[in-house]
Parts: sequence; structure tokens; C-alpha cells
Amino acid sequence: MIASLKRAWANFRGFDIEGSSVPPMDGPLRPNARLDAMPVLLQLDEVDNLTAIGDEVVCSVGGEVLTLSRVEGPQGAEAVSTAPRHAFAVPVTAMAAHGATLAIALEGKGVQIARPGHDVRPLEAAGLPSRCVTAMAFAGPDMLYVAVGSATNTADEWKRDLMTAQSSGSVWRVDLAAGSAVRIAGGLAFACGLAVAGDRLFVSEAWRHRVLSMGHNGEDRAAALSRLPAYPGRIAPAGTGGFWLAMFAPRNPLVEFVLKEDEYRERMVATIEPAYWIAPSLATGKSFLEPIQGGARKKLNMLKPWSPAWSTGLVVRCDAAMAMQRSYHSRADGDVHGVTSACEAGGRLLVGARGSGKIVAINELTEKTAT
Amino acid sequence: MASNDTLAYLRSRYLPDHLVGEILSKRWIDNAIPFSALVLTVAVLGTLLPDFLSISSLSDLARQFAEFGLVVLALTVVMISGGIDLSVASVFSLAVLFSLIGVNVYDLPVPAVLVGILLLGMACGAINGVLVGYLRLRAFLTTLVSLIIFRSIYEIVFVRMSTSLMSGFSMSDLWLFIGEGTILGVPTSLVITLLIALAWHMVLSRMRPGWRLTAVGGARRSAFNAGINVRFMVFLTYVASSTMCALAGFLFAARLGSTGSDTGVGLEVQALTAAVLGGTAIGGGRGSVAKAIIGSLLVLLLTNGLINLGISGPVTSTILGGVLLLAVFVDMRWQKHRHRILAKVYVSPAYLALPPAPQVDGPGSPYALNDRLRSVEIIGLGDIEGPEDVILDRDDNLYCGTRHGDIVRFFGPDHKRKEVFAHIGGHPLGMAFDKAGNLLVCIGGMGLFQVAPDKKVTKLTDETNRSWGSVVDDSRLRLADDVDVAPDGRVYFSEATIRYEQEEWATDALESRPSGRIICYDPRTGKTHTEIPKLVFANGVVMSRDGQSFLFAESWTCSISRYYFDGPRKGTIERVISDLPGYPDNINRASDGNYWLALLGMRGPALDLAMRMPGFRKRMARRVAPDQWLYPNINTGCVVKFNEKGEILDSLWDLGGRNHPMITSMREHKGWLYLGGVSNNRIGRYRLPDADPDWTAEDEYWGPRK
Repeated sequence: MIASLKRAWANFRGFDIEGSSVPPMDGPLRPNARLDAMPVLLQLDEVDNLTAIGDEVVCSVGGEVLTLSRVEGPQGAEAVSTAPRHAFAVPVTAMAAHGATLAIALEGKGVQIARPGHDVRPLEAAGLPSRCVTAMAFAGPDMLYVAVGSATNTADEWKRDLMTAQSSGSVWRVDLAAGSAVRIAGGLAFACGLAVAGDRLFVSEAWRHRVLSMGHNGEDRAAALSRLPAYPGRIAPAGTGGFWLAMFAPRNPLVEFVLKEDEYRERMVATIEPAYWIAPSLATGKSFLEPIQGGARKKLNMLKPWSPAWSTGLVVRCDAAMAMQRSYHSRADGDVHGVTSACEAGGRLLVGARGSGKIVAINELTEKTAT
Repeated sequence: MASNDTLAYLRSRYLPDHLVGEILSKRWIDNAIPFSALVLTVAVLGTLLPDFLSISSLSDLARQFAEFGLVVLALTVVMISGGIDLSVASVFSLAVLFSLIGVNVYDLPVPAVLVGILLLGMACGAINGVLVGYLRLRAFLTTLVSLIIFRSIYEIVFVRMSTSLMSGFSMSDLWLFIGEGTILGVPTSLVITLLIALAWHMVLSRMRPGWRLTAVGGARRSAFNAGINVRFMVFLTYVASSTMCALAGFLFAARLGSTGSDTGVGLEVQALTAAVLGGTAIGGGRGSVAKAIIGSLLVLLLTNGLINLGISGPVTSTILGGVLLLAVFVDMRWQKHRHRILAKVYVSPAYLALPPAPQVDGPGSPYALNDRLRSVEIIGLGDIEGPEDVILDRDDNLYCGTRHGDIVRFFGPDHKRKEVFAHIGGHPLGMAFDKAGNLLVCIGGMGLFQVAPDKKVTKLTDETNRSWGSVVDDSRLRLADDVDVAPDGRVYFSEATIRYEQEEWATDALESRPSGRIICYDPRTGKTHTEIPKLVFANGVVMSRDGQSFLFAESWTCSISRYYFDGPRKGTIERVISDLPGYPDNINRASDGNYWLALLGMRGPALDLAMRMPGFRKRMARRVAPDQWLYPNINTGCVVKFNEKGEILDSLWDLGGRNHPMITSMREHKGWLYLGGVSNNRIGRYRLPDADPDWTAEDEYWGPRK
């Protein structure tokens, strides 16, 4: 009763008691255009799930798994080429590798295990959901952690999951040898990133704008990063310790407002195509049917970098305790948007911008200062 | 229509939400709180005291008000100019004393005494004025000192003259008439005060000296920079103040015929209370005669009422002090929050259900997407900002407005060289040539202007008739938008909205309220009148080829209509197009007998849905920063061609708006289509493949060059 009165009063006065005000990009997240300045290795629409396996790097495009290899580009520039590795009928939603073993999550088909010299075999794990596996991480040759975004929506329907305010994500531990799966965390609002660090597990919980830290059995849960100004996604380990956190879309005050406007949200979800929703996105500007915000109107033929945007590109370097150190941005006027995955290989970081369909490379891996 | 849509529709149709903001934005709304306090006081005292509103009590009150009101008015004038005059009470009592000495003791003629008293007041005021205005002493301290000095003079003279004052008595009829007489049943002194108040009201609200006075109080340095003689203005306010106090003292003397040692004691505190209660700002720059009257009535009623209720003098003073404190508090809160409240409640979205948008990518759609406008020739890149409209004359010179208030002319035929054709100010928008070759320009924020071929600028009109029942002053032209000239020379132009200024046009989109109009200026009579009221962002205007009607666009309803200004169907409106995929802007003629239409932005389903949910948009306007509001997607350029029947024939696009986002106007001229955009930094030129290469709009409108 008192809580609802408080809420009504806050609503009337416009206070924020639900953490729905978007914090500024500041400190280690101070905006820059470094992601746009990085060399583009490959234009590849819908590139996702960059994963290092041994010396190779693989990625997925829809239902295909591709192997990337370094080639000489025009004018001696670096570039990569792709070669098909596996092909499936349904989209690949997550990948993880350990040694030469590659785990591939397929939408609706569960996790597949590809070992050199063997056929691709479905993973035997009773109870593990087959849909919306968003991230995986090995903690040993026979130990796989699996993040499931949502129990009701597929991985590609993440926008619907957000705009219908779901929190049915979970994290599972799978014993490959025993073929068993244990749910170690549930009720998560779109778990979509996983990293193993010794006896701790980091899990991105996108719709609550935080990265959780938990023990291997889900015990002792705490927020390693919270009140993030963007939605955290996949986490890749860094070679010199620490992690790379890909933030796939920015938070937006109008989206936060729409999330509180139940009637509008329901009608929007029911009657409008997801691409034209007031919602975060991996890429913008593809159609004039997309909504725009006042600050995103072009003035003197320019889109200002600080315009409010549905999509941006953001990769954050975090230390071993998941504290943010520095960040690489592609802002509203940039074109490396919707970064869903990153992986270190050959002394540099490959960044997969699924929204813009690009793989870019970050070479300066050891910079310490936050700028 | 869903049931919640029906509710939303009915609510926005019949509840005038927008009036709240419009009333709050009025200057006189400052008086609302003091006025309600006054009404409340009258109601409460009227019930508590049975004879409170009787004739005799009212007549007594009227005479008290005549004197007290003058003193409050005097103080108000000084406070508006940013000063304060604490010596009002001692000047008042000096005037009482010397009036009585003059009339009763020395038996001088009453008019002579009046003149003498006024001169005395002026002298006292001049002392304050010189000290505060010219020598720049602190007003508070200076008038505190003069309060003490004048009061001491009163004490000294009063003691010497008290016996003769007691015995003196005047038989003058005029003296009696001023003190106790009436004019048409109204006490003489009240008539005098009301006349003075009326005069001050005219001066303060409608005349140059009053505005200067307010300017000095509002921002002294700016007033100085604007060329106002600040010191002299300040000097004058003290002279005026003391003169009015002296007159008040004269009236008081005439009424009571005696004075005592306590005459005028504490009057300055009462007057200050009244001024502040009425809403006059202590810091200056804000105040009016109405505020002074309300404040003085409030204080008089309170003191009289409290005395009648049998409350002792000191307690009454304490209560008055408390009221003063409360008034200062309320005033401070009101000033602090008024603009915030206004900002929150002014935006008042209406219900607007648009018909389904046409498919733009379906087979055979006249809107088939292309990028024909992406690779156009570019004119004046970076040299101009905000060419909302472009127009060409018979010599192929290209004209456009800029946001700096210039009309820039690019010399034909290559448009490489340019000059500022005229500098007017505002933001020049729609343009048209009349028969004599004058360039008519609608200027956002200013009105309709004419630039002759010899560059002479003339204001044609900046106001129209004020409509009944509109709260905002809709006689001023805020956002004149596009213009065209009828064959007989009458000028029809659109005004997009009366609720927002030029740079806030997009907020009007959020509202989508019928607050625009089409206005007619007749050069034969020089008169302006509103031809079609209540349009939703009236935008482009183009004369139809029948000579009896024109087409006009209403942006937020995505529609084009035809209005007959002559002929058998005179005065009727018919809808020509009602389901555009975007928001229409300027319309102009094409060489093949059809019309070009610029779409300033495209409709999107998220905004269309929000248009049917005014409550959602209202909350958005309150909760979300304006930069984050949902807006029409203007980052796409589109021009379409339609015929007299309203059928879409062709469309040209710049998807993504690389070269031309938000095209607001286009002109065909000798086989080229010229493109303007209100927030672009360039003009585009597109070669029309199958257009008449010799066609110019001037020839079609006014015949070949003579």
C-alpha cells in the first residue's frame, strides 16, 4: 500500500525510484570514436559469435559457421577471408570453444558439440532448454556453462523479450561427460553473456543493466557491474587477464519511458513490426519507418555524434574483477553498431559488429589508462 | 476504433487542455493568487461580520482606499524600477500636516495649497531621486534616512503648530467636497485615485516610459545598453512616488481635518505589505496597477476586519506581518516554479488518427523507392544555412532565405556567385513573386514582407484579426510559412501554428492540434484577415490553375486540401489527398500542369500509434527531455508529384537523407527541380528528364515578360 502510494507520488512528481534514469557515459565509458577509427577487416552482414578455437577464429552468420583466415587486402591492408565450416538449418545463437572442441547452440535444436575427427553431435544434457541459448563458456574439457536468455522468446526476438518485460532467463552447468545439466540461476532478465574466472562466474543480465558475479553453483550472487548505460552482452576473456565486455545496444530515456507505459507498449508490440518499435536496436537508419528522437534530427546535413540513438557500438575492457577500465565507442554518427561478440586472437581483438555487419580489429591491447 | 481510442478522442475533443498552459503563460496570471486571496478574504469577513458589506462601511473603506491605494501605487512604481521607497509614510504625514496648516491655520485657497503640497512632494522625491538615481546610493538606506529626516521635520513642526491646528477650521466648500463629497455617488477622493491609477495603468502597460521603467527594474544593465537613461528614470520614479504620497496626504487631511502624533506611523510597512501581497516583485521588473489595487484592498480589508472583530492593534500588526511573510514565501515559490509548471503543462497533445499509410514499396506504387535525389547537383554548399524555400526569377537568379535572416541571391545561370539580396531578420520561409516582380516572403517570427527588385524591403503585414475566445494573442503572426498570390493580387499565406515559435515547430508536431490557419492580405486595402482558421500546421500554399481556388497542405494530418476563394463554391474546402506517407510541406506548380509537393518527413508506425494516444505523448512531454522526444522522421528526403485530382504520379527520394534530409520546398524552373530544406546547408538541383526546358513559374502565373 505504502509502496504503491510512493510509486504514485514518484510518478506524479517524475522521480526515478526504479533505476530507470539512464546514467551518463562517463569515467571509463567516456564516449570516443575509437571503434570507428579501427581498421575494418571484413564486411559481413549479420556476423555474430566470434570465437577463438586454437589458432583459428570462427564466427557465425545465420545458420552458418565460418572460419576466418588472415589475407592480404587491397594496398597491403589487412583483411580476413571466410571459409565455410559447418552449416545448419536454424540460426546459430551462441558458440564456445575449449581446445579443439567447439560448442554450437542452435535455435530450437539445442547445443551441438563439434570435435575434430568426429561428426557434429547433439549435446546430451537432460533439462537444458533448447531455445534462446545466448552465450556459453567452458570451465574445463567437460564442463560447459550455458546462458539462456528467455524461456518464451527466441534469441532473435530479444527486442520482444525486453519490451514485454520478461525475466525468464537462466544459467545452466552442463557436465559433458555425465550428460547432465543443472540450473544454477533463474529468473534472470535476459542472461546473454558468460565468463568463467577461477571460482567465479560472470553473467550479463541485459534488461537489468548489470553483470552478475556468482559461484559455480550460483551461490553468493552479487552485481559486479550495475547501473550500466548500455545493455551488456557477451564477455570474452582477455589474454593479459580481465575481460572484454560487448554492450550490444545503448539504453535510451525514451525506451525507459515506454517500458513504464504499459498500454502504449502492449499496442506497439501487438501491432507494429519490431524493426519500427521504440526499442534498442543493433542498427538504425535502415528505413524511414523507424522512429527518431528530437535530438537525432539532422541539422545542416549532419547527424550529431551525441544524438540519442537506438543503436551504438561499444566494447569495454574490464579487469579481472570486472571493473571497467576503458572503452571503444561508435556513436550515433558512427558505423560500427551493434557489437555482439569479440574475441582475442593473434595479439589483437576482433570485434564483431552484427548491426553494421563488420569485423574490426583493435590492436592496442595493453593500454592501461582509462581515457 | 478501440474503446480507449474513443475515450481519448472525446477527451481531446471536448476538454480544452491546451488552455491551461496558455492561461499560465499570460502575464496577468501572476495576479491569480492575490486575487483569489482577496475573494477569500471578502467571503470570510463578509460572513463573520454582518455589516461588513454595508453601504456606510463600503463608503468609509472607499475613502481609506483612495489614500492608501495612492501610497501603495507610489511604492509600486518605485519597486517596479528596482528600488524601494521607505519614506512614503513620512512624506504622507508631512503632506497632511502642511495641508492642514495651509488650509486651516493660514486659510489659504485650497488649490494653492494643493499645488504647494504637490511641489513639496516633488521636492522630497527629488531629494531621494538625486541621492539614489544620480549619486547611486542604496535605495533602502537612503529612503530610510529620508524617512527619519522627514518624520523629524513633521515632529518638530507638529509640536510648534499643534495648538493652532486644534483651533483652526476651514469653511472652504472645495475642501469639504474633496474630503466628504461624492461624484455620482462615488467619493471624490476615490475618483481622483482611480483616475491616477488608470493613467498609471496606461503608462505602465501601453506607453514607452512605462516599458522603460519596467526594463530598468528588470535588467538595469540591459536597459542601459538599450539606450535608456537609467539614472533619469530612477530619479523620476522617486519624484512620482513622493508626489503621489503628498496627494494622498492632502486627501487624508481633507477627510479628517486633523492630525496626530501617530499619523502615518507604520504606513510604509503596511504599504510594503500591500505591494508584496499584490505580487509586485521586490527585486523590480514586475508589478502593475492591478497588483497594487489588489494588494491594498487586501491589506485594508484585513486590518479593518480584524479591528472590527475586536482584535487589538499590536495583534493585528503581528497578523499582517505573518501575512507578509506568507506572501513573500508564496511569491518566491511561484516565481521559482511557474516556468517549470508552464513547461510541463504547455504541451497539450490532441488525438489524431491518421488513415493507414500507403505502401511505399509495393509493386506499382507511385511512391516506389529510389535514390534519384541523392546524386543531385549541389548549390551553395556550406554558404547558406536553412534555405526553407527556393525561388527563381525570370533571369534564372535563385533566391533563398537563411536562418540568419538573409535573402541570398545566387546569380544565374550557373548559381556559383551569390550576394545577400536583403537582410530582414527572423527566418525567411515561403516565397512568391507577384505580378510586379516583387518578392513576397513569409518570415517566421515576423510576418509577411516584400522585397522589391531594387532590394527595398517593406513590411506588408504582421498581424491579423484577433479571434474571439483565443487565449494566446493570435493577432500576431508567429510562424508565417508559405505564400502565394491570386490572379487579382490578393496574397494568401499560411501560418503553421499560433502556439509555438518558429524554432519549436516540431513540438507542434507532438501536439498535432488545429492551431494553424490561412491568412489573406489584400494589397488593395492593406487589410489582413484570417481566411481559414483551425488548421493542423497549415503549410504549403499554391494557386490552382482555375484562378478560383488554392491548394494547401496540413502537415500533421498528412493531407492536402483545396479552398475556393472565388467563384460559385467560394468559401468551401475539399480534401484532395488524405493519406500521404509523410508530412507535406510546400506545394508548387510543375510544368506539365501538375504539382510538386515536398514531404518534410516520413510517417512511422510508432509515431502514428502515439498520435492516437494523447495521454502517452503528454506524459512523454513531461517526463522525457525534449531531445529524446519521439518526432517525425525527417532524416529522409522526398518530393512527390500529384495532379489536380490528388493522384500521386511520381516520387523522388533521398533515402537516409545523405544529401537532402527534410526537403521542405522545391521549384521547377527550365527543366530543373531546385530543392530547399529548412535545416540543410545546401540547395539541390535535379535535372527533370522530361520536363519543358523553357517553362518558368513566372510566365505561367503572370504571362510572358513584357
